[in-house]
Amino acid sequence: MTDDAGPRPRPGMNAAAGDGESPALDQAFDSDSLYSLRAAVAAHGSQAGLSDGRTRDLVLAVHELAANAVRHGAGQGRLRLWAADDAVRCEVTDQGAPGETDAADAADAARWQAEPGHGLWLVRQIADSASVQSGVSGTVAAVIFRRGPS
Amino acid sequence: MAVGADAQVTDLTAGDHACLTFGEPEDLFDLTAAFVRDGLACGLKVVWVSDSAPQRATTELARRGIAVEAALAAGQLTAAECEGGLLTGQEFDAGRAMDWLTSQMAACQREGFPGLRVAVDMSWALRPVTGVEKLPDFEQGVAAALAGTTVSVLCQYDREGFDPVTLATVSAFHTSSVAAATYYADAMLRICRQYAPPGIRLAGEIDYQHTGQLALALTEAIRFEGDIAVNMTALTFIDGTCARMIMDAARGLGADRAVALHCHPGIAATFELLGADDMTGVSVVSGHDR
Repeated sequence: MTDDAGPRPRPGMNAAAGDGESPALDQAFDSDSLYSLRAAVAAHGSQAGLSDGRTRDLVLAVHELAANAVRHGAGQGRLRLWAADDAVRCEVTDQGAPGETDAADAADAARWQAEPGHGLWLVRQIADSASVQSGVSGTVAAVIFRRGPS
Repeated sequence: MAVGADAQVTDLTAGDHACLTFGEPEDLFDLTAAFVRDGLACGLKVVWVSDSAPQRATTELARRGIAVEAALAAGQLTAAECEGGLLTGQEFDAGRAMDWLTSQMAACQREGFPGLRVAVDMSWALRPVTGVEKLPDFEQGVAAALAGTTVSVLCQYDREGFDPVTLATVSAFHTSSVAAATYYADAMLRICRQYAPPGIRLAGEIDYQHTGQLALALTEAIRFEGDIAVNMTALTFIDGTCARMIMDAARGLGADRAVALHCHPGIAATFELLGADDMTGVSVVSGHDR
C-alpha cells in the first residue's frame, strides 16, 4: 500500500462527496478513450463551479491518473466524479497489473510515483489533496479540487 | 488532395515556380513568411499578392519576425492585392496577368535588385471570377517566363478549396510542390514543422500516445541552427509526458540557443510547474498573440 504525505481529505468532505452518493460522472476508460474522458471531466469541473484554470488542472490530474492505469495498471479503468458544495472529488480505479510487467515498465511506474515532473508528482502539485492506495485488487487514486479562490 | 510535397519552402531558388498547398491560414502565413524572409535576406525584391488586405499580410509577416517596415520603406517588399494586378474589375485575363508579372520583373531589374520573389495567393479563383478557367494558361505562361531568370514564383493554393482536378492540372506547370512538413495529423492532433520562426507547431490535444511523433519533430527542429519556437497556441491540452519531452529537448540545446514556448495561459501553467521559468534560454510566451 502506498499513500501520500499531502493534506488529508477532511472527514466531512469524504462524507459529502464520495461514500454513498452516486457520482455525477461514472465512466470507463482505456487508451482509446482518454480524449473523451478529458472532455467529460472538463465539462463536469466547469459545471461544478471550478474556475477555468482549476478545471484545466483537474483535467490534467485525472488524465495523469488514468494514463497511469492504462500504462502501468490494468490497461483500463474507471473514473468516478462527485461534485459537492465545496469541492470536486475524483476517483480513478483499476484492477491492477495485467500479469507480467517488464523491468522498463516497472522503472517507469516507479518514476511516475515520486520523481519531480512525473505523473503523480504533477498531480500532487495541482490537486488540493491526492492519495493513491494499491492493494491486491488494484489501485484507487483520488484527488480533490476545492472550489473558491486558490 | 492530389498534390504531394517534394520540396521545402526554404530550398526554393531562382527560376523556381513552386506550387504551395495549404490546409489552414497558419500554414499559408508561416510558409510565405519563410519565403519572404529568405528572399529579403538574399537582397531580392519580394512581392506578395495576398488574398487578404495588404495590411493583414504585413501584420502576419511582422508577427513572424520579419522587419516589414524597413523592407517596405526601402522598396524591397511590396504587399499587393489581386485587384489591379492579377484581376481587373474582378475579371481574370491570363494575358493581362502575365503583363503584370513581366512588368514586375522589369521594375525589379530597373531598381537594381539581383532577383525577384513573387508569392501569389490563388484563393481569388475560388470565387465566381470571370475568366477563372484561364488559370492554367496563366500558370503555363509563368513557367515559360521564369526559365533562365533570377525570378521565382510561389503560387498558393488552398487544398480544401480547390478540387483535385484543378490542383493536378495547375501543379503540372510548377517545378516543385511545397507544403508544411507534417509529422502527424488526425482529427485530434497535428504536429508539423514551423518555418518562420523555425521550430514546430502543435495543434489540438497531445498526450503520451504521440511521443514518437513529437520526438521526431523535436529532433528535426534541433537540427536547424539558431533559436527554436514551439508554437502551441492552438494546443488545448498537453500531458506531463509530452511537456517533459519538450523541456528535455530544450535542456539539451546549447547555451547559445533560445527556446520560446508560445502557448495559452493554461498550457503555460503546466510548463511553469515543470520549472520552465527557471531554465536559462527558455521563455514561456503566453497570451493570445501566438
